[in-house]
Amino acid sequence: MEVRIEGVSHRYGGLQALDGISLTVREGETLALIGPSGCGKSTLLGIVGGLLQPSTGKVLLSGKPPADCLNPLTYVFQDFALLPWRTVAENIGLSLMPHGLPANKRQERIAAILVLTGLGEFAAAYPRQLSGGMRQRVGLARALVVRPAVLLLDEPLSALDAQTRELLMEEMLAIWAQQRSTRLYVTHNLDEALRLADRIAVLSRRPGRLREIVEIGVPLSERSKPDAAPALAALHARLWTLIRSEAAEADREVVNA
Amino acid sequence: MPERSETSRPVPFRGGGFHYVPRKAVPWIGFVLVLTLWQALCSFGVISPLFLPSPEAIGVALWRLSESGAIFSHLGWSLQRILAGWAIGTAAGLLVGLTMGIFSAARSLGLPFVSALFPIPKIALLPLLILWFGIGEPSKIAVIALGVFFPTVISAYTACDSVPRNLIRMGQSFGLSGQTIVSEILLPGAMPGILSGFRISASIALILVVAAEMIGAQHGIGAFILSAGNLMQTDQLLAGVVMLSILGLLISFILGRVETWVLRWR
Amino acid sequence: MKKLLAALCGLMIVAAGQALAQDKEKLSIAALRFVSSSPIFIAQEKGYFAAEGLEVEIKFFEAAQPIAVATAGGDTDLGITGFTGGFYNLAGKGALKVIAAQSREEPGYDFVAYVVNAKAHEAGFKSVTQFPGKTVGITTVGSTFHYNLGKLAEKRNFKLEDVQLKPLQSIPNVMAALKGAQVDAVLLPANNAYALEKEGAGKIIGWVHQETPWQLGGLFANTKVVETRRPAVEKFVRAYQKACADYAEGLLQKDAQGQRTFGPKADELIAIIQKYVEPKPSVEQVKGSASYIDPQGRLLVNDIYSQVRWYQANGMVDKTVDTSKILDLNFVKGHLDLPKR
Repeated sequence: MEVRIEGVSHRYGGLQALDGISLTVREGETLALIGPSGCGKSTLLGIVGGLLQPSTGKVLLSGKPPADCLNPLTYVFQDFALLPWRTVAENIGLSLMPHGLPANKRQERIAAILVLTGLGEFAAAYPRQLSGGMRQRVGLARALVVRPAVLLLDEPLSALDAQTRELLMEEMLAIWAQQRSTRLYVTHNLDEALRLADRIAVLSRRPGRLREIVEIGVPLSERSKPDAAPALAALHARLWTLIRSEAAEADREVVNA
Repeated sequence: MPERSETSRPVPFRGGGFHYVPRKAVPWIGFVLVLTLWQALCSFGVISPLFLPSPEAIGVALWRLSESGAIFSHLGWSLQRILAGWAIGTAAGLLVGLTMGIFSAARSLGLPFVSALFPIPKIALLPLLILWFGIGEPSKIAVIALGVFFPTVISAYTACDSVPRNLIRMGQSFGLSGQTIVSEILLPGAMPGILSGFRISASIALILVVAAEMIGAQHGIGAFILSAGNLMQTDQLLAGVVMLSILGLLISFILGRVETWVLRWR
Repeated sequence: MKKLLAALCGLMIVAAGQALAQDKEKLSIAALRFVSSSPIFIAQEKGYFAAEGLEVEIKFFEAAQPIAVATAGGDTDLGITGFTGGFYNLAGKGALKVIAAQSREEPGYDFVAYVVNAKAHEAGFKSVTQFPGKTVGITTVGSTFHYNLGKLAEKRNFKLEDVQLKPLQSIPNVMAALKGAQVDAVLLPANNAYALEKEGAGKIIGWVHQETPWQLGGLFANTKVVETRRPAVEKFVRAYQKACADYAEGLLQKDAQGQRTFGPKADELIAIIQKYVEPKPSVEQVKGSASYIDPQGRLLVNDIYSQVRWYQANGMVDKTVDTSKILDLNFVKGHLDLPKR
């Protein structure tokens, strides 16, 4: 499915968080949203996910969802948002609850997604027993078990250490290859975006405006090969110059909590 | 570098301490030491039995009470009142508190009442409750229920507040109904807060049962302590206090068990 | 110079005053602001203590219990109040000696009444034999009211266990419980009983003195004071007896028909009593609550033995308490009802 964001603005009280964002996430691609902190990228994701109401503008879904899709839009959260009193299997089952599947169908789906995300042996574990990486795999499995058409990822790797992040990126790419979906991926990490995205949308901060959409010419499967390095390095440099001054500004801001 | 080797020495250790490590024997040694000192002061006549009976006298009083079965009758009566009052107060408190935790309108309506009525020492209302419910069991149970109700309301809605909002957003993002969010996310998430509220309300129930039994009760630990005081039987009085402390320990042990079972995911 | 002289004179007067005060032996007594403490007030006001060379300080308490505790603990030298289970437990530990009488339930002198609530009275609760199966409000376990009921049970052959006792802690609570029909009956001092009858809330069905006359209270002293300052205590008792005689002459008289009469001597005493008792009673209230006090402060000795036995039998007083050791009968001559050996 395709996601069309049309002229979306959002205000928190007197603060203009997003200002007239229009962009399309194409069927089957990964669009990374990057920008310095405070550019409203999470707000935009919330609006797309139906958790926040835009002040003006709208978000449209078009196209046909996959055959076994139960929920067209699902979320993966930065802080995992797992229920600590539920086991891994029960946490994954949570997103199936509203759809009234018969028990055997439910078990089938859970079993399949446990295998896909490499959680098979952890089905009965509680979240507190798991590493951060495993927890985010549960978060991913919970989002995927309903076979969504569009996956919304809100900085899914930000709470993890560098090595785990690397592992999860590989796994996500493998999953994307197996399960067709459209992805909107919010991150502040340029390397992540360059590794996972087909296109990168750069937002400016305060108010959040769309500055540029950059197409990464290198196919996903070639990204980690040495041949791709120069092209990606050039892109990295270009994107960095785009956001550097605003990132510095965000860094120096005094926060009144 | 070899010429410096003569000045080499091990790094002196300067860490450690300032960290609580439970020492199992120490509390028992302390307990025995205090009892021995107390007994010695009484035996050698330093402390008059008039003002502080010896541990031995208290032990004898406890033994006589258990021999005659009186101790079980008093404990039984008090426990019965605590259970009834606590159950009623807790059920009503959870109902009101959770409603206030879920619905903003209910919170806005209830908060001023709860804030105004919570600080009133409920025992002050006993005469009024006696007028309403008579001098028997209902007024005693009502005092306990009332005393338990308000802290339960407060712990229930603050426990709801303490459930991370991102978990609720998560539930919404997966299309869970409001009802499911309450039963699967809000209530289990509020459970630790509610259970620790139970500890507080149970100790309030214990305090109030003693106070409530001071009017018009023939049986119960409170009645026993009061009549021992009226009769100047200080050994009996302290035996009653020991009973009370055992009852308190028993209640907190049971609640601890319930807590580890319900919150086994922690 | 004149000034200096005047100052010196002043100093001398103060010093002389102090010397005079020092001559007087000091004793303190714990008491309630009740009419039953009257002999103490009379002895103080009429100078009987001073005449014995004593300077007596009266320390007031709110309840009987603290009086016994204060005297046993040495905060006061003497105390005067009613005998309760708690009193005997304290005295039994050797800290107190009973030396003279205070009030007693004497036939013909109304003091404590059995009061039944109006509804129960209408329903037929009209006799003191009907207590079994009823709910009765008392102040505390081991109080004089509790004892009265126990003695009534003995006399009227019913079991005290068949009466539902409700300890309510204070006389106002007891009155409220009767008014609210929370209890069927209560035991109350005369003035409270009259007040309930006047309001129509209760009916007096009898008086304790008609059923079980007994020694209700006494004058007692800290054992150490008795041992070390015996002459001072003797002086105190002499003054106390003199006041008791005044009290009996003024407030305990009866006419030819056996009705109590209060002559001109009463007025002087009532004025003294009104000065001490709180809340300040009317003349009628003083007359109503003027309990019988032996004119010579003599105790009904045998009754004290039987009180202790009753409390012991009911588990309220320790079995080790020896009644003979809590009495010192040598201060007053001619005590009544001595136990037969």
